[in-house]
Amino acid sequence: MSDVPILLEMRSITKEFPGVKALSDVNLVVRAGEIHAICGENGAGKSTLMKVLSGVYPHGTYDGKIVYQGSESKFSDIRASENAGIVIIHQELALIPGMSIAENIFLGNEPRKRGAIDWKAANRMALDLMARVGLEEDPDTLIKDIGVGKQQLVEIAKAFAKDVKLLILDEPTAALNEADSKHLLDLLRGFRSRGITSIMISHKLNEIEAIADQITILRDGRTVETLDVKADGVDEDRIVRGMVGRELSSRFPDHTPKIGDVFFEVRNWNVRHPISAERQVCKNESFVVRRGEIVGFAGLMGAGRTELAMSVFGRSYGVFESGTIIKDGKEIVLKSVADAIDNGLAYVSEDRKAIGLNLLDDIKTSTVAAKLSKISHHGVLNEVEEYQAAESYRKELRTKAPTVDESVSKLSGGNQQKVVLAKWMFTDPDLLILDEPTRGIDVGAKYEIYGIIQRLADQGKGVIVISSELPELIGLCDRIYTVFEGAITGEIARADATPETLMKQMTSTKKMATR
Amino acid sequence: MSRLKDLQKNLFGGTTSNARQFGMIFTLVAIVVLFQILTDGLTLRSDNLIALFQQNSYILILAIGMLMVIVAGHIDLSVGSVAAFAGILVAKSMTEWDLPWPAAIVFGLAIGAAIGAWQGFWVAYIGVPAFIVTLAGMLLFRGGNQFIGNASTVPVPEGFREIGSGFLPEFGPNTGYNNATLLLGLAAALAVVWREIQARKTRRAMDADPAPMWISILRMAIMVGVIAFAALRFASGRVGTSFPISGIILLVLVIAYSFYTRNTAGGRHIYAVGGNSRAAELSGVKLKRVNFFVMMNMSVLAALAGMIFVARSAASGPQDGNGWELDAIAAVFIGGAAVAGGIGTISGSIVGGLVMAVLNNGLQLMGVGTDRVQIIKGLVLLLAVAIDVYNKSQGRFSIIGSLMRPFRRDDSAPPASPPDAEREPAKAAVSG
Amino acid sequence: MRKFFGTSVVAISAAAMLALAGCGSGRDGDSGSGGEAAKGFPANSLIGVALPAKTSENWVLAGDLFSNGLKEAGFQGDVQYAGASTTVADQQAQITAMVTKGAKVIVIGATDAAQLSTQVAAAHTAGVKVIAYDRLITNTPDLDYYVAFDNFKVGQLQGQALLDGMKAKKPNGPYNIELFSGSPDDNNAGVFFNGAMDVLKPEIDKGNVVVASGQKDVKQTAIQGWKAEGAQARMDQLLTSTYGNKELDGVLSPNDTLARAILTSVKGAGKPTPIVTGQDSEVESVKSIVKGEQYMTINKDTRNLVKETINMVKALQAGDKPQVNDTKSYNNGSKVVDTYLLPPVAVTKANAAEAYASDPKLAPLTK
Repeated sequence: MSDVPILLEMRSITKEFPGVKALSDVNLVVRAGEIHAICGENGAGKSTLMKVLSGVYPHGTYDGKIVYQGSESKFSDIRASENAGIVIIHQELALIPGMSIAENIFLGNEPRKRGAIDWKAANRMALDLMARVGLEEDPDTLIKDIGVGKQQLVEIAKAFAKDVKLLILDEPTAALNEADSKHLLDLLRGFRSRGITSIMISHKLNEIEAIADQITILRDGRTVETLDVKADGVDEDRIVRGMVGRELSSRFPDHTPKIGDVFFEVRNWNVRHPISAERQVCKNESFVVRRGEIVGFAGLMGAGRTELAMSVFGRSYGVFESGTIIKDGKEIVLKSVADAIDNGLAYVSEDRKAIGLNLLDDIKTSTVAAKLSKISHHGVLNEVEEYQAAESYRKELRTKAPTVDESVSKLSGGNQQKVVLAKWMFTDPDLLILDEPTRGIDVGAKYEIYGIIQRLADQGKGVIVISSELPELIGLCDRIYTVFEGAITGEIARADATPETLMKQMTSTKKMATR
Repeated sequence: MSRLKDLQKNLFGGTTSNARQFGMIFTLVAIVVLFQILTDGLTLRSDNLIALFQQNSYILILAIGMLMVIVAGHIDLSVGSVAAFAGILVAKSMTEWDLPWPAAIVFGLAIGAAIGAWQGFWVAYIGVPAFIVTLAGMLLFRGGNQFIGNASTVPVPEGFREIGSGFLPEFGPNTGYNNATLLLGLAAALAVVWREIQARKTRRAMDADPAPMWISILRMAIMVGVIAFAALRFASGRVGTSFPISGIILLVLVIAYSFYTRNTAGGRHIYAVGGNSRAAELSGVKLKRVNFFVMMNMSVLAALAGMIFVARSAASGPQDGNGWELDAIAAVFIGGAAVAGGIGTISGSIVGGLVMAVLNNGLQLMGVGTDRVQIIKGLVLLLAVAIDVYNKSQGRFSIIGSLMRPFRRDDSAPPASPPDAEREPAKAAVSG
Repeated sequence: MRKFFGTSVVAISAAAMLALAGCGSGRDGDSGSGGEAAKGFPANSLIGVALPAKTSENWVLAGDLFSNGLKEAGFQGDVQYAGASTTVADQQAQITAMVTKGAKVIVIGATDAAQLSTQVAAAHTAGVKVIAYDRLITNTPDLDYYVAFDNFKVGQLQGQALLDGMKAKKPNGPYNIELFSGSPDDNNAGVFFNGAMDVLKPEIDKGNVVVASGQKDVKQTAIQGWKAEGAQARMDQLLTSTYGNKELDGVLSPNDTLARAILTSVKGAGKPTPIVTGQDSEVESVKSIVKGEQYMTINKDTRNLVKETINMVKALQAGDKPQVNDTKSYNNGSKVVDTYLLPPVAVTKANAAEAYASDPKLAPLTK
C-alpha cells in the first residue's frame, strides 16, 4: 500500500485543555482511497483528534502540523475544512427533523437562482446525490419520517453535496440495526472503489476488522500503533490488545470482600425505547447481586447498561414490557422512583450535573433530597436534623467544602459526586447502583470513591457499578457482567477478568453460558 | 468590615439569596423614603398606607401563587381571567341565587379549585406547556366571565364587601388608636422576638455560631421598630378605618405559604422540580403531582384575589382582572425569582410587589399620569432583573455587594473568624 | 442569655419609641365632616378629575379643558386618566390618591359605573364632594351631583336623524337598518339605545323599518369597551351574513368612533354608504359629514359640559348649592341624584357650519 500517495498526514498533534492533555504527539497517516479506522477506549482522544482535523479546534489552539493533499493546512473553522473536502459526520446527526431530505442536504448550501432558492434544481440534485448513497426516498420526505439508517445516508449525501474528498464517520453504526449497518459498510466499500477516502471511528471491532485497510490505535491521548489489516493479519484480539495494553497499577484500596447470599435478582427483563417502540433496549436480561458484593456492568457506550439500571430503578427509563425483580426472596414491583427508594434501591446517575443534582441547591438540601421524610415530623422539616445529617456525611465522606451551606455548583466534580453518594446513602439503601461513578473525576478522588464503595459493600449492601473503564471494573468488582446491544453476553468472576476477555464479550453477541 | 459582612449575611435570614433580598428591601426602603419626601409626607400617612394595602392585597396574593408556579418552572397567564370568572360567578351566586356570603366565598374557592384542576391536568398529566394552557385559560375564562355576566356589572351585598373593604373592628377603651390593630402589632412584635430566639437556638443546635449578638439585637430592633411604626400608622387611621381585612388575609397567606415553601417536604419538592426536574424525579419526587398542585393552587388564589377585588369594588365587572397576571409576574421577578425556575421566595415576591405598589402609589400622589407610570414601571422591572442577571454573570449574587464594592479597597485583613483546622484545605479544594 | 434579653429589651423599646415619635399625633378623629355641613373651602384647593382611559378624543379634550378651566378658576387641578388595560383598578387607586392628597371636590368620569362605590364612600367620609361627570356612578348613596347631556334625548335625536336621512335618500321604505349600542358597562349606553328605540320602535313595528339581521336586543348590539375594532368586526360579520344581496340603508351607531369603524367596514365590503348616525362631534367625523359619508353626529359640546361642571365646583367652593335642573329622573340604585342636564344638538351636513361656529377646532372644517 505504501506506493499509494498520502492524502493526509497529521504530525505530532498535541492538544491541551485546562489541566488535561487530551492529545500528545499523535501521528496519523491516511493514504488516498483507503478506509482508515481509528480505535481506542473512551477518552483515548479519538474525537478530539477529529475535531482538530475538521477545524472545530482551529489552527493555533493545538501544536503540530496537518499536511493535506501535499501542503500544510491551517483550518480556521469547519467551513474551511469543508471547503477543502473534509467532511465529518458526527455520532449525533446534525439534521433538522422538521425539514425535508432535500432541504437538509442543501441546508446552508442552497442552490440559488436570482436570490431565491431554486427548489427544482435542488430536488434534481438531491435525487442524484441520494442515488449515490443508495437512498430511495422522495426528497420531499421529512427527516423525522425516515429511520435512523436512512438519516445516516442523508448525512452522507449532504457530505457529497459539499464535494467530499475525505469522509470522517464518528461511530456511524452505533445507533443502527444490523441491516442498516451492513448497508452502510457496503456503501463505504463502494466509496473506496470510487477513490473516496474514509476515516471511521468505531467501537465495533468486528466491523473494523471486516472493512478497514489501516487501523490507528490511540490510548490515553497517544498513538500506540498503526496496523495494516491485510499485511499484519489483524484480528479483534490484536486490536483489543493495542487498545487496553496498559498495566493495571494499584489504584484501588486493598479490600477483602465479605460476600453473603443472593438478595437481589432481576429476571427476564425486557424494556422498549421510550420513543421508538420498535427498539428493544433491554433484551431478556437477568442478573443477581449478593450482599456485600460489588457487581460490575461492562459494555460499550450505548450498550444499554444505563437503560437497564434506570428501568430497574422505578421504571425511570423506557417502556416496561416484562420481567420480575426479587428482593430478599419476595417479588417486588417498582412502578415509580418513590417505590424503588422505599424498597431500598438507590441509583447514582452517570450525569451528575444534568440529572443527579439540582445545582441550585446547597450541600445540605441535596443530601436529604431523596428522603425528606427522614427529617420531617408531621410534614414539617427539621432544619437541625437536616444539618446534622448533612454534616455527618460531609465528615464521613470527607467532602471538601467549608460548610454544608455551600452551593453544590461550587464544588469540584469529585466532591459533587460525594454529595450525590451522601444523598443516596442517606436513603439507607440495600442496593446501590452507581452509573459511571468516577467519570470526570481526578485520580485522587477516584481512590476515595472506590474506598467508599467498598465500605458500603462491607456494610452488607449490594453495589452495582456501571463503568466504561475496564481497569476500574477489574480493580473494583467481585463479578462483572458484560452487556452488548441490550443483552447480557457474559458473566466473569474477578479472577478471570482481563481487559481482553471483557472487551471480547462487550463487542460480540455470542451469549456465554452463565455460571 | 467584618461587621458589615456579618450584617449583610445575617440581617435577613440565612439563605444564599439573602443578599439579593437585602438589596430588594433596601430598594423598597429607598423608594418609600424618596416618595415620602417628594409627596410631602403623604406616602406614609395612615390613610395612604391603608389604601396602599387595600389596593394591592389582591395582586400580592396572586404573587404568592405565581411565585410557586414560577419556581416550579411554569408561568400562569390566566390568573386575571380566572379571577374575573370566579368574581362574576360569586357575585351572581349572591344576587341571583341568594347564597349567603360566607357560602359564596367557599363557592368561589371551589370554582378556583375546579379551574385549577382543569389547568393542572393539562400541564401535569398531558404535558402541555403551562404557557399554552394558561394562554388558553386566559381566553376561556375571560370569555366565560362575559358570557355569564353579559359583560355587565353585578353588585354584591354589604357583608361580602368586608373582605375587600372592611377593617379590623373597634373595641375596648378609647386609646386614641384602633385597639385591634395595636394588639395585632404587639403579637407580630412578640412573634419576631420569639422567632429570633428560636433561630439562635437552631443555629446553636447545628453547632454553628449564631449570628453575633449585636446583629440579632439590631435585627430585632429594626423589625420591631418597623412593626411598631406600621401598627401605629394603621391604628391611627380615621375612626372606622384601621388595618384592612384584605391585609389580614394577605398576612395569613404570606405566613402560611412561606412556612410551606421553606419548611415542608412539599415546598422543597417545588424547588427541586424547578431546579432540575429530571434530578427531582430520580430522587423520588412525584413530578406530576407537584405540577398539578402548583397550577391548582394558583387558580384558587386567583379566585380569592378576584373575590377580594369584587368586594372592594362592590361589584363584579367585565374589566376585572385585566392585566393582573402581568403585575403578579412582575412582582415575582422583581423579587428575585429566576425565569428558569428553582429560585425565588415568597417574601421576595411580596417585597417586589410592594416596590411596584409604592412606585405606582407615589407617582399617582405626585399626579403623574398612568401613561408615564407605565413607562416607569416597565423600566424598573427591566432594571431590577437586568442588575440581577448582570451580577450573576459576574459571579456575584448580590445587589448590595456591588453597592458596597467601592468601600472594600482596604479589605485585606482576614475576617475575624475562629481558627478552623478544616477550613484552609477546604477552601483550596473549592476553588480547584 | 440574660444579657441578651436585657439589651434586646432596651433596643426594642427604643425602636418602638422612635416609631411612636415618628408617628406624631394619634388618629385623625372623625374628620368625616361630609354631608350638609360644608361651608365652602379655600379658593386654591385641589380639585381631582378622574377620567377613563384615553380611548376617545373626547376624553382627552375634556381632560385638557378641565386642566385649563380649573387653573383659570384659581383651583389646583389634578386630572388623571385610567390606564389602557387596567382601567377600573387604576381609577380606584387614582380616586383614593386624590382623597389622600386632600382634594375638596372629585369629578369622576367613571370607567365602570358600578365599581367605584367604595372609593366614593371613602371620599364622602373624608368630606370630599363627588360629581359624576357624563356617566352616572351607580349603587352608592354617597354621590353628590351628576352633570351630563340629556342622553335619552341624544338617543331620540339619533333615531330621528336616521329616519330623516333614509327618507331623504329613498322616499319609500321599507328600509333595512342595523343597530349598534355602546359598552354594556357604561350606564349611558343603554340610555342612548332606549332613546333611539323610542323613535325607531314604532316604525319597526309598522314594518317600515327592518332590522335585517334580526339582532335587536341590546345584548346583541353592544360593543364592549366602545372599541372601534369591535364595531368593525361586528359590521363585517353582518355584511357577510345578511347583506350579500340586500341593501343596507342605515346604521344606528351610538358614537362617532363606532360610526367611522362601521363606515370603514362598509367601504371595505364595497357597499354603498348607508345613513350612519354618531355622537360627540369628533374631528374625523365632522370631516366625514362634510364629505357626505357619515350622516349625522350629536354636538354635545364638551366645552359646555366642562364649563357647567366647573361652575358646580365654584358654587361648592363658595359654600352655595350648585344649580341643578333635574332632581327626579336619575336614580343610581341607592338614591336619586341631583342632576344638571345639558341639551344635545343634532348636526348634519346641512347645519354643521352653524352648529360649530363657536368651536375653534371644528369651525374651519365646515367651511
